[in-house]
Amino acid sequence: MIIVNNVTKTYGKIVALKNVNFTFNNSSVIAIMGENGAGKSTLLKICTGILPFDQGQVTIDGFDIVRNSIKAREQIGYLPEMPDMYERLTGKEFLFYIASLRKLNDAEDRIYDITKMIGVYDFLDYEIGSYSKGMKQKISVISAIMHNPKNLLLDEPVYGLDPLTSRALQDFIKKRKGTTVIATHSTQLVEQVADIVYLIMRGRVILSDNVSTLVSKYGNMEEAYFQTKDEVNV
Amino acid sequence: MFETTKIILIENTRNLIKKIKDAPFLYLMFFGMIIFSIFIFSFATYFLINIETNLDISLEDVFFMVFFLFLLKTTADFYNNFTKSLKLTYSLSTQVSQKKTAFETFLAVLLTELIIWFSFSLTFLFTLSIFKININYPFEYLLFTIGIITSSCIGCAISINFFSPKKYRLMPMLILLCFYFYASNPIYVVFTLPLAIIHCAWSLKNSMESYLFSKRKQRTKERSLLKTRTIIKTQFHRETIILWREKLLFSFVFSSVITGLFSGYLFLYGDEILIPGPLRETLGGFLPSMFLFLGVYVVVMYTAVFPGLNLFLNEEKTMWIIRYLPIKNDTIVYGKVSALFLCFLTSIPFIFYISIFTGFDQFGFILWFLIFSYIAGIIISVPLGVKYVGKKSDILLLYSVSMILFLVLGLMVSFVNIIEKFFSDPFIFYLLILLFEFFILYFSLKFSSHILALKYNLTSDNS
Repeated sequence: MIIVNNVTKTYGKIVALKNVNFTFNNSSVIAIMGENGAGKSTLLKICTGILPFDQGQVTIDGFDIVRNSIKAREQIGYLPEMPDMYERLTGKEFLFYIASLRKLNDAEDRIYDITKMIGVYDFLDYEIGSYSKGMKQKISVISAIMHNPKNLLLDEPVYGLDPLTSRALQDFIKKRKGTTVIATHSTQLVEQVADIVYLIMRGRVILSDNVSTLVSKYGNMEEAYFQTKDEVNV
Repeated sequence: MFETTKIILIENTRNLIKKIKDAPFLYLMFFGMIIFSIFIFSFATYFLINIETNLDISLEDVFFMVFFLFLLKTTADFYNNFTKSLKLTYSLSTQVSQKKTAFETFLAVLLTELIIWFSFSLTFLFTLSIFKININYPFEYLLFTIGIITSSCIGCAISINFFSPKKYRLMPMLILLCFYFYASNPIYVVFTLPLAIIHCAWSLKNSMESYLFSKRKQRTKERSLLKTRTIIKTQFHRETIILWREKLLFSFVFSSVITGLFSGYLFLYGDEILIPGPLRETLGGFLPSMFLFLGVYVVVMYTAVFPGLNLFLNEEKTMWIIRYLPIKNDTIVYGKVSALFLCFLTSIPFIFYISIFTGFDQFGFILWFLIFSYIAGIIISVPLGVKYVGKKSDILLLYSVSMILFLVLGLMVSFVNIIEKFFSDPFIFYLLILLFEFFILYFSLKFSSHILALKYNLTSDNS
């Protein structure tokens, strides 16, 4: 469970998030949508403890991200928007590196299973620097889910993935237990996997609703997104 | 017209301004050191003009020193602004001829070098005039300026052809450089300017080959060592695997051997080679120990300071990995710094090779001084590397660290001299100094992990 309480984040004079409140419950898939620069990635970074904020409180399964950072981060899996990794390590070395830092005992079996599922097993002995954008995304997705985290935060998870892997990942998200937060522009992905959607605009939450309710009201998520935005702008 | 030149100049200027704003102290120190160095050069000129020695100030030596400095700078600048640049993809994909884009990049580099040359040289002339030294040498000034243009053309040609699949294209410029070395006369540099321009223009015409060749992707298969380790061992393994694959460990060993041989040779014969006859008696006495000092300093710079700074400087885009994983900052710092112990081993050959010249009776002292200097290098470089994460191998940072290290080692040498005057067997002092230094190292690493922590300035509204 992730609780974001009254969080404000500024970059100099620019307000990225303003008094934002969220409660991401267990066993639900939450989608965060919004235009470029709305504050989606900033919110995810704050929840993972990689970006400091100016005001408010964030707790992950009851652990404060500032005061009890290590415990809070143990409960998280995170996929960043632009997953830069150590280019001179092989994919396998990178995954074992993450597994070691996460203190996973059965790392080899887990890596085998997930890499087979995602379809990168045959490329694991090559250096990450030689991977395509999609391959890097796959390795990064695996590093986020390999420890089976209670809370999974994914920033544009299907970006750069081929249709087959994209579907495999969507199936995985739907089946998994725990909280999954997805920041995305893809209305199709939201419709496929999310239970609840939040719409952020200029650092403020302007809408939170069930995806099924919005789809039945507007026909599909894309229409729901544009209609809601227009209503707010008016 | 000249859009690429304008864009490169504007971006480089804005980058400099941003860097100054990000690290004002660092840049203040750097500019201070430059002004100080110019004043020192002016004072040295004044001193050498006014004292009676048979010492000749050679215009050729100064000319070629300036020439090669600008040659290196142009080579690096053209590489950064063209061959390595990803941003150039946009202008190279427009309808504008790619040769024209390459030429405009060269123009931006040339203009930068000329701006640097004029700013530095005019400041130097100004300080010379303060010392009331005659500065009316227009011909020599013109000679130097043409030399800078020639060096920029050659540097650009070298930069292009070095990364070309056809490396033999470097030959004309290498032959020209050998000719300069043989002739040792600036006037030949001026006369060969047309040749340098022709080769530079020809290289620019073929520059896309180098651009594409340097960006080719090779899928490298490596043998992976598969097992989970403790956190510190994992960090150590990751750091050393990169040092190994980048072949840095080999280069450290090789450099240690060369520095050992070179400084050992100067230890024995430096007086005769470098000090002119009239000054040898006055200045010669301290030179052997100075070369020993400089040898250790150089070895520590590339086996401790470079890798020490880069432990964190190179982490700009990968910091998210360290930050989101549940690891204490202390553990990250200790794990990364542990890799430097392997780098220390690569500096050991230096002691053996320099001892061939100094004699093995000094082996213990050199080993002690190397260990002391190495730890001092870590103490200084690691916190600064953490502080300036993401400033990839920033030359100013490196310069500042090297200056601080030089000062620290210089002070320690003076302290050792004092100790040796009063105690015949100062072994216990050396041991105590090392113990004290380990104590400081511990605090330096603690301080580094403190800097590494994210700073939350939560306002009072925080619940």
